[in-house]
Amino acid sequence: MAKADPNQYVGLAARSKEGPRLVTGKGRYTDDFTEPGMLQAVFLRSPHAHARILGVDAQAALSRPDVFAVVTPEDMKRDTKPFRPGRYAAGLKKPIAEYAGAVDKVRYVGEPVGAVAARDRSTAEDVLESITVDYEILPANTDVHKAMAGEDASVIYEELGANLAWQGTLEYGDTEKAFREADRVVQENLKIHRYSSTPLEPLACIASYDRFSRKLTVRTNTQVPENIYDALRDALQIDDIRVIIPDIGGGFGQKIHLIRKYVVIVALLAIKSGRPVKWIEDRNEHMMAAGHACEQHFDVEAAVKNDGTVTGLRFKEIDDVGGSISTLTIHFTNKLNNLSNTYKVQNIRADGYSVVTNRCPVIPNRGIGKPGMCYIWERIIDRVAQDLDMDPSEVRFRNLVQPEQMPYTTPNGNIYDSGDYPGLLKRALEKVDYPALKEEQAREREKGRYLGIGVVIGVEPGGRNAARDMAIFPEMKETPGSGGINGATIKLEKNGTIALYLGSPNCGQAHETTTAQVAAGILGVSPDVISTTTPFDSDVAPWGVAAANSGNNFHLYDIGSIIGAATQLREKVLKVAGHILDAEPSDLEITDGVVTVPGFPRRKLTFAELGKAAYNNQSLLPEGIDAGLQTTFYYTFPHAQPNLVPGQDRRVRAQFTFGAGAHVAVVEVDPRTGKVEVLRYLIVGDNGTIINPGVVDGQIYGSAAHGIAVALGEGFVYDDEGQLLTITLTDYGKCSTAETPNVEVEHAPSPSAFTPLGQKAAGEGAAIPSPAAIASAVENALEPFGVKVRDLPLTPERVWQLIQEAQA
Amino acid sequence: MIPGAFDYHAPASLEEALSLLSANLDDAKVLAGGQSLLPLMKLRLAKPEVIIDIGGLAELNYIREDGDHIAIGALATYTDVAESELILSRCPLLAQTAVVVGDVQVRNRGTVGGGLAHADPAEDLPAAILALDAELKATGPGGERWIPAGEFFITMLTTSLMPEELLTEIRVPARDGYKSAYQKASRQAAGFAIVGAAVCLKESADGGCEDIAIGVTGVGDIAYRAERVEAALRGQKLDDGAISGAAALVTDGVDPIEDVNATPTYRAHLAQVYVERTIQAARAG
Repeated sequence: MAKADPNQYVGLAARSKEGPRLVTGKGRYTDDFTEPGMLQAVFLRSPHAHARILGVDAQAALSRPDVFAVVTPEDMKRDTKPFRPGRYAAGLKKPIAEYAGAVDKVRYVGEPVGAVAARDRSTAEDVLESITVDYEILPANTDVHKAMAGEDASVIYEELGANLAWQGTLEYGDTEKAFREADRVVQENLKIHRYSSTPLEPLACIASYDRFSRKLTVRTNTQVPENIYDALRDALQIDDIRVIIPDIGGGFGQKIHLIRKYVVIVALLAIKSGRPVKWIEDRNEHMMAAGHACEQHFDVEAAVKNDGTVTGLRFKEIDDVGGSISTLTIHFTNKLNNLSNTYKVQNIRADGYSVVTNRCPVIPNRGIGKPGMCYIWERIIDRVAQDLDMDPSEVRFRNLVQPEQMPYTTPNGNIYDSGDYPGLLKRALEKVDYPALKEEQAREREKGRYLGIGVVIGVEPGGRNAARDMAIFPEMKETPGSGGINGATIKLEKNGTIALYLGSPNCGQAHETTTAQVAAGILGVSPDVISTTTPFDSDVAPWGVAAANSGNNFHLYDIGSIIGAATQLREKVLKVAGHILDAEPSDLEITDGVVTVPGFPRRKLTFAELGKAAYNNQSLLPEGIDAGLQTTFYYTFPHAQPNLVPGQDRRVRAQFTFGAGAHVAVVEVDPRTGKVEVLRYLIVGDNGTIINPGVVDGQIYGSAAHGIAVALGEGFVYDDEGQLLTITLTDYGKCSTAETPNVEVEHAPSPSAFTPLGQKAAGEGAAIPSPAAIASAVENALEPFGVKVRDLPLTPERVWQLIQEAQA
Repeated sequence: MIPGAFDYHAPASLEEALSLLSANLDDAKVLAGGQSLLPLMKLRLAKPEVIIDIGGLAELNYIREDGDHIAIGALATYTDVAESELILSRCPLLAQTAVVVGDVQVRNRGTVGGGLAHADPAEDLPAAILALDAELKATGPGGERWIPAGEFFITMLTTSLMPEELLTEIRVPARDGYKSAYQKASRQAAGFAIVGAAVCLKESADGGCEDIAIGVTGVGDIAYRAERVEAALRGQKLDDGAISGAAALVTDGVDPIEDVNATPTYRAHLAQVYVERTIQAARAG
């Protein structure tokens, strides 16, 4: 059979298919849809961080003719079931029933207590003010250290008896021995704060229920259809569920987890009212209650040889997980994904502590625990360098996994598929002319200008394996879903065009563009004749557990399934064409949508002719071949063994592909105001084979901007009573274009040994090492003052304080 | 994010606006560009029962020369002020300040009168009108009166306007031969001033300070004149030591506010740095 070339359009900066639609305002987001008779919902939210709900009076609201349904805690208890404790709550001593809304207590400001569906939004907001809730206010818990010391102000979950809700240990190798035999031990305390990814579009949902067929349809901007599907089934006991996902205005993790609470309650309003119900979250609600990245405290120790070799790493991690148990361990367990970062170290021990607090629950968020893990490594490596009076890049070179070790198995069982980490670091240092930069820094210091250079490196894992969580919860009896599965459907239409149906939603990463490039090469057509059908619709999409716009899944499962479906379609095209052209399928070629018999220029068939044959003309079809030209393929990663499911040794493939990036940040710090300016930000990255460089660069710019902004001041601030002080983007410190530095990107791809095109992930990457790069650069700038950077964020005031403290 | 119900009036004249205001003293809010009031209403932090929308009153929208003064109608937008040739040539401090208020949308919609009457402690323009010794015209049912800028701001979100009065004009003396600058610390380019300093100064040929006026915003409950700094510099040679020594007096007698953007200690420190740097920037032209 003539060879398909999946690489034909790979590497081409093909024009974005969805870009023009989205940037000209023609995107169709959830709020753009209406349904006949549709109501508008708003949520009643807790003004208190911690309180018992003694009673709710919604009579005034219910008596209004323009109010069609109200949900109160009583309704939640009566009409819904709690969510199943997911894999992040599996380690609880006692299972805790968590409903979509608060039922007995509120545990954070903004927690949904009830909801109203009214004729219009303004009525719904008016009505909300007439609902009274009788609260018994309880002391708020906002300090994880108090919880660790057993000094809870009050207990948030009585079932647990304390706010320290979980603790567990992961150990690989022999850390005792490594520390015993070390020449020195380098120690540091670090902290990463609460932040968000602030997608432009907040959470949104339209629910409608057909009581005759008992089918529930929700149109929502979730990143992960499975979570919505499962949540609706569990909470409402409905099996027939359709999830439609239109264009999404940014996700980054914010639309994966807590969104299910709102979809369930909006669906309940739709069921109760018998009408479609729309809910659009506002910005303040999003900031208060849509989920935060976890505040993480780390006590870190490295066992070090005097030549700079790190032989062991130990860290204790305390996570402030907020007022929910459903994501209790998510930021800790994600440390398994990059536990050894780019380094050869064989002995690692992590002690995790999850503390529930009266703050917003934590959620998956661009990289989840991985920026924290990279921060641990890159900060302690800098400390090692200072301790040994070595250049920080020299200590890194000494400890990096070498290219000839690939594929490389890490102590916890990850298998790094390919990569040249020393090459990335070397190239990054060359690009900035590191020696010249250091000379410039020294010269400028003489003049009172404080330049700083931060050089860091980090892996970027891709793919999914929920069996990972069994490594910390060996008590789990069955895996919560190992590996990943997702599908794609391809159809050659009667006019010769190609329609793709993807198994995942798209939240702005140009899935339509990239998949068309891959399918075009295999099918022998131009990407221009391929279109992707949107929105995602769970009734027809070939979706599986990895149908997730998250976790760096797209490059593996979506690209894998597109390749599978396109390859099968090509085979079928050639069989049907061979029959019509009276030629062996293996002798045929396809060019620009025309099947030809080499050497016989008049024996050819266009895709349009083929389409007509396949759908209209039974006599033209070969025997034993189904009519139609449509194929569906479900992909699962074929190299997932070994370590797919952890055994006694707790070794597991937390993810499956590993890109990497070396980052250099050059900053200038104004020591009088503490303001940090990023003068230069360079990334030399390995994202494997790049399918569309424009798309990948866009991902890198966005994720770098995210990580840099987080390091320099974006973040949530609570007062001691658990009130959130940063409910607007202004107070949150959201960086605009004006504050975002130019990011230079150079690609140095090492194709993956495990994926069909050599592709790796690109979505989270630069958000993982960039907080560490900024911390490193600021510390380096302030070296003359003796400043040590331990905590993020580095707001101007914080940097100024660090200088004051160092000088005191 | 939808305001509560209210009655809406769009008066056709100033006279009508004033009578509407007098008739609804307890529950009316005046709407001009809407850049401060509408966000508060959407959050339902403000729930006025009556809105008097003066945004369409052309008679309050002007910038004109009036002898050695410039008269600015209350409904001139920040963009109007920032781009006015007249202001740029005779009183550039106002334009230098207006051009960094909020973002483009805020500057295009927001009015100088609305911003001043709102009296947000982090608003930029109060620093400039204080440094310029502007006067503000209050028009009420009984006629007009002029309020010196220094007497206009009473406390956070409160001015000396009477409930039945509207701010109708800002009158600013031309500052020919002066140098000026406005600088602010803010988290984002479009952000509010954590600290803002407006400086207007006249130097003699030998670098002496003939006259200096410094308005400071963002630091205390209300914007204020840094009179002690001015006194310390007036008549002195403006060298680095004199400037930084004087700038250290900027928060004497002022209680810096605390919010999520800055502690009082840092605010006081920033005020000093910004006054010093803004004087230097004004000198450098």
